[in-house]
Amino acid sequence: MSDSPASAGFPRRRLLTGTAGLALLLAGCTSGGSGAAAEETTAAQEDRLTAQVPVQEAVVAAYDAALAADPALGGTVPDLPGQAREQLERLRAAAPGATASSSSVPPGPPAGTDVRAWLRDQVSAAATAHAAACVEASGAGAALLGSLAAGLRGHAAALA
Amino acid sequence: MADDGTTASTEDAALGDVLAAEHAAVWGYGVVGAALPVDGRAPAAEGEQAHRDSRDRLSELLDGRDADPVPAAAGYRLPFPVLSAVDAAALAVVLEEGVSAAWVALLDSAGDAPVRQLAVDSLGAAEERAVTWRAAAGRTPVTTALPGLPGS
Repeated sequence: MSDSPASAGFPRRRLLTGTAGLALLLAGCTSGGSGAAAEETTAAQEDRLTAQVPVQEAVVAAYDAALAADPALGGTVPDLPGQAREQLERLRAAAPGATASSSSVPPGPPAGTDVRAWLRDQVSAAATAHAAACVEASGAGAALLGSLAAGLRGHAAALA
Repeated sequence: MADDGTTASTEDAALGDVLAAEHAAVWGYGVVGAALPVDGRAPAAEGEQAHRDSRDRLSELLDGRDADPVPAAAGYRLPFPVLSAVDAAALAVVLEEGVSAAWVALLDSAGDAPVRQLAVDSLGAAEERAVTWRAAAGRTPVTTALPGLPGS
């Protein structure tokens, strides 16, 4: 198969430049300054992000509980707990008013349960919650929540 | 104007960027499938169909707004030679990550809740496919914390 001559413009850039191109494309997404929608980052917008912090805290706690219940699980998905924490840090950075909460932390997997399936359910539920919040948000907040939701859908796929 | 005051043109421009990415993905998946053994092409066919569906939906959406849908490019250039099943999986990762970036950019620009719903659903589906392809390409980790956002 031979390469076709690239046409000018977007598709060629997208295929050729990989992550560098993505970074350029999204340069404004986390700065809070892109697009008209991002400018409406108001207290309500920040409240939406703050409301999702306990959801993500619960994901981190679920990973901790699952690995405590089934240490071998950590060997099969070694990167996921750290990514869940990275997501939490990113969310907290966008919602500086959020404080750590213990009320949202779910109990660990019931004895005798399939720990991996239990963890997958926790992660999937959080992805759904972030996605719902994304739809109600706008601008950089919507971009972050949507990315969080997608990241957790990827986790659920990896846990399947 | 969109429902939260965002200008429709801003949203339409972002929709057009996603459409361009979907055109590229549809084309790219043809390359992915061709590089896979016949009995291993089902994931590529499913990915291609998903992107065709997204492309068609975006085109209809833009048509309904009297905005001209971006046509497919006359040609595309591969980012690297695709000579094996592993290369094909790596290309699929590039394609899915490319559309993910475009969907996230749309989320950043969208004023209409239904558009954000479309974007977040499509973004999640793209990341699920990307997980499968990263594994097939031998990449680790197979997941990413923040799909579509820079630096992730």
